[in-house]
Amino acid sequence: MTPASEAVPMRRLDADGKFELTLRVNGGEHRVRARPHHTLLEVLRSELKLFGVREACAVGQCGACTVLADGKPVSSCLVLAPMAEGKDILTVEGLEGPDGELDPLQQAFVDHTAFQCSYCTPGFLLTTKALFAEIADPSEEEAREYLAGNLCRCGSYVKILDAVMDAKKRVRNGAAPR
Amino acid sequence: MGGTPFSGLIDARERVTGKIPYTIDIELPNMATAKLLRSTMPHARIRRLDVSRARLVRGVFAVLTGADLLERKEVFPYFGPVFRDRPILAIGKVRYVGEPVVAVAAVDADAAQEALDQVEVDYEELPAVFGIDDALAPGAPLVHDEPPKAGHTFADIILHGHPGTNICNQFKLRKGDIERGLAEADEIFEDTFYSPPLQQVPLETHCCVADVEPGHVTVWATSQIPHMLRGNLAEVFKLPTSRVRVIVPTLGGAYGAKCYPAIEPIAAVLALVARRPVKLHLTRDEEFVTVTKHGGRITLTTGVMKDGRIVARKSLCHFNTGAYADIGPRLIKNGGYGTAGPHNIPHVWVDSYAIYTNIPPAGAFRGYGINQAAWAYESQMDVIAERLGLDPYEFRMKNLLTEGQTFATGEPVEDCHFRELLTMVAKGIGWDAKTRRTRKGSIVRGKGLSCTIKSTVTPSTSSATVKLNDEGSLNVLTSSVEMGQGQKTAHAILAAERLGIPLEKVVVTSPDTDATPYDQQSSSSRTTYAGGAAVQLAVDDVRAQLIRLGAGLLAASEDAVEIAEGRVRTKAAPHRGLEFGEVVRKSRSGDLVGRGTFQTKGGLDPETGQGVASAHWNQAAAAAEVEVDLETGKVRLLRYHGASYPGRVVNRVLTELQLEGNVGFGVSQALFEEMVFDNGQLQNATLADYMVTSTLDMPRELVAHILENPERGDIHGIGETSLPPVMAAIGNAVYHATGVRVKDLPITPEKVLRGLRDREAADRAEPKTPAAEPVR
Repeated sequence: MTPASEAVPMRRLDADGKFELTLRVNGGEHRVRARPHHTLLEVLRSELKLFGVREACAVGQCGACTVLADGKPVSSCLVLAPMAEGKDILTVEGLEGPDGELDPLQQAFVDHTAFQCSYCTPGFLLTTKALFAEIADPSEEEAREYLAGNLCRCGSYVKILDAVMDAKKRVRNGAAPR
Repeated sequence: MGGTPFSGLIDARERVTGKIPYTIDIELPNMATAKLLRSTMPHARIRRLDVSRARLVRGVFAVLTGADLLERKEVFPYFGPVFRDRPILAIGKVRYVGEPVVAVAAVDADAAQEALDQVEVDYEELPAVFGIDDALAPGAPLVHDEPPKAGHTFADIILHGHPGTNICNQFKLRKGDIERGLAEADEIFEDTFYSPPLQQVPLETHCCVADVEPGHVTVWATSQIPHMLRGNLAEVFKLPTSRVRVIVPTLGGAYGAKCYPAIEPIAAVLALVARRPVKLHLTRDEEFVTVTKHGGRITLTTGVMKDGRIVARKSLCHFNTGAYADIGPRLIKNGGYGTAGPHNIPHVWVDSYAIYTNIPPAGAFRGYGINQAAWAYESQMDVIAERLGLDPYEFRMKNLLTEGQTFATGEPVEDCHFRELLTMVAKGIGWDAKTRRTRKGSIVRGKGLSCTIKSTVTPSTSSATVKLNDEGSLNVLTSSVEMGQGQKTAHAILAAERLGIPLEKVVVTSPDTDATPYDQQSSSSRTTYAGGAAVQLAVDDVRAQLIRLGAGLLAASEDAVEIAEGRVRTKAAPHRGLEFGEVVRKSRSGDLVGRGTFQTKGGLDPETGQGVASAHWNQAAAAAEVEVDLETGKVRLLRYHGASYPGRVVNRVLTELQLEGNVGFGVSQALFEEMVFDNGQLQNATLADYMVTSTLDMPRELVAHILENPERGDIHGIGETSLPPVMAAIGNAVYHATGVRVKDLPITPEKVLRGLRDREAADRAEPKTPAAEPVR
């Protein structure tokens, strides 16, 4: 995510081989410690206890650990933690409103029961957020294409696509997306 | 309750907010991270294993080998659901690439990995066997030198060992007189079908957190079978089962992968040695070699009369069970009798074998042997229909079991709906014998059918406890496991409607063997059916107590008292009465505890396979329409109509999800999935190289037909029911589109193209061959 020209400044490692970095996650700034090879996925889970970010393959092939970085969906297992500094990171924990009200997309997933084991659900929600940001009025085929990198082994795809297309309508009809 | 029955998941909010807890989220104070060193050899003697440098790595709490386990008198180092043939860590020998050899517990994953990097292993390679023929060849090297030792296991298991060979177990079935049946047949068909080893691929890989104090073991585990895991761990630690506690949070998918103990004994012994809690969470490539679906080769010799009646079937089944038995000894039974299919066949003969080889252990996989069996018999049904000049739909209708006819095991099949199910999907897809295929340029389309039968493990036992609290709410305690099938929701619905209270007043706990009663297993499509029946019986127990206590409080006789509209009241004065909470309070009961146990009876004769295989039969049918590109051989599933018989629907949307999910699960099994080994080394242990269904692979038209029978009221399992027909429906559709019969899954473009070329060559050599009907 960081172009070669803006090289990350040298940082001193402590006795534990770690250094401090600042992550902006779900609207808050967090000072965390990590080793240079630790991924964003590892840090979000181990340091910030954001357990909605889940490992399933750790090599960017399943979409389960998807988060948004400046609005773009990324596999957090493929992003080294220091490279996420300066980005706005959104995880599923950041989708709810301040009083716990669900995002219209979350509500559509609930209403359509667009999951079974739901291990993949946060990844689908965040990828769909990015879809809506990128394509104003996606067709079902466009949604299929966009979500093809998120695997649901329970095979809840029919209901997931129903929920996505329904959420699109709800947002267009005025339900406020978060 | 009233109004529309609840449909959905009661914990949906926790699921969309990411808050629902999985085992990977469990963290304990001072918890260490575990990592495993795995074998790089398929079969080898461990000549030297040096972990001394690993022990010196900073942050390492424990380094454990199989040899260490042998020295620890407090530990029995073998486990397994049937045979105790699997060492917790390799002892003396390794038997597959990926077998755990060394376990490390350290302050974090980096330190654990550093320690593993310091381990030195010298292997003396031994000759290995990978496939069924290798393993059965005369003089083949033995995967296990000694016959495996059986331990306490399930009531339905039948053992026929073959000491001195790689045959782990055999199942036999003899119905009627096979020789007579085949002699009487007008035509005999012999075909061999193959299903490759597969991965269940739960997105949540196996995880276990273990906390071991002297004389007390606690694990949080990704397990479908808490009580058997408790039993296996008690054996390992030589403790009474009461001193082992298994807690199971929600699972992130299982599909059979989490049925039987695999990594939990490692985590637990490591916690013992490290003297602190340990978390072991497998990586995806480790998951690939932890448990698999059996590769299966099935040869069917089927005798048919000219009018299309099947009169005899002889099945020879070989299932590759890998290096350790796991549940293979049972699976060959289901996969064996399963080859008779939902057909009324008077003479059936089955020999089914589990074969040890030097590949990763095979175990439970959604469909449990029936996928392999159905791929064989439903493919052969179309082969036979074509040769006899019969329409595949008519040919099936002629042979499908009807009420009271007997299955291969000799038991009459009740509540039988195969013909209705097949007709539903045939109508749905627009089945018409004359328009099974169409062509446009290089793209051909074809339709295929299939219809399957599946048992549920019998005999089996489930118990449940319910607690009615003093304000009328209800806690349900069950060891059934929530793995996405909606167990908690289904059990809550069943409890709420049985007692007559709102669903919101019911809470279902997760399994905790210190508190939740015995449940045999959350598998075999039995959780709503059997676990749910236990919950209902437990509620009945509470209802009886309410009547007894209510009668006392109302100063009436018990038979003058009834439960209705959420109250205990006298029949004479129905407008008065006591709310449930009042009964609890006024009787000073604290709470009312109800207990229910649901047991099914049955079992098969060990020599003839005759008896009762299943308390009821799970029934499904499918119709698929595919498109095949004749230039590339690529197959796309366009339309799919699936039907299953849940009897009584407990939760409509979850019923649909099981069927739709099975289509998703089956599409990639039909077209992509295969574990590819080279000398026992898995070549495709990533989700890029091992393809599972994505949104793009799903049919654009997918209709879930649900056949109900509310009058009868029985609940049939649906978790696996609709999976077995998927692969053969697609295979038959590919045949009708192209004339290419692929007999070994998956149906890859290469196989289709090869088949097309072979057909062209055959046409040129013998232009009038009737088998090669031209594509229109």
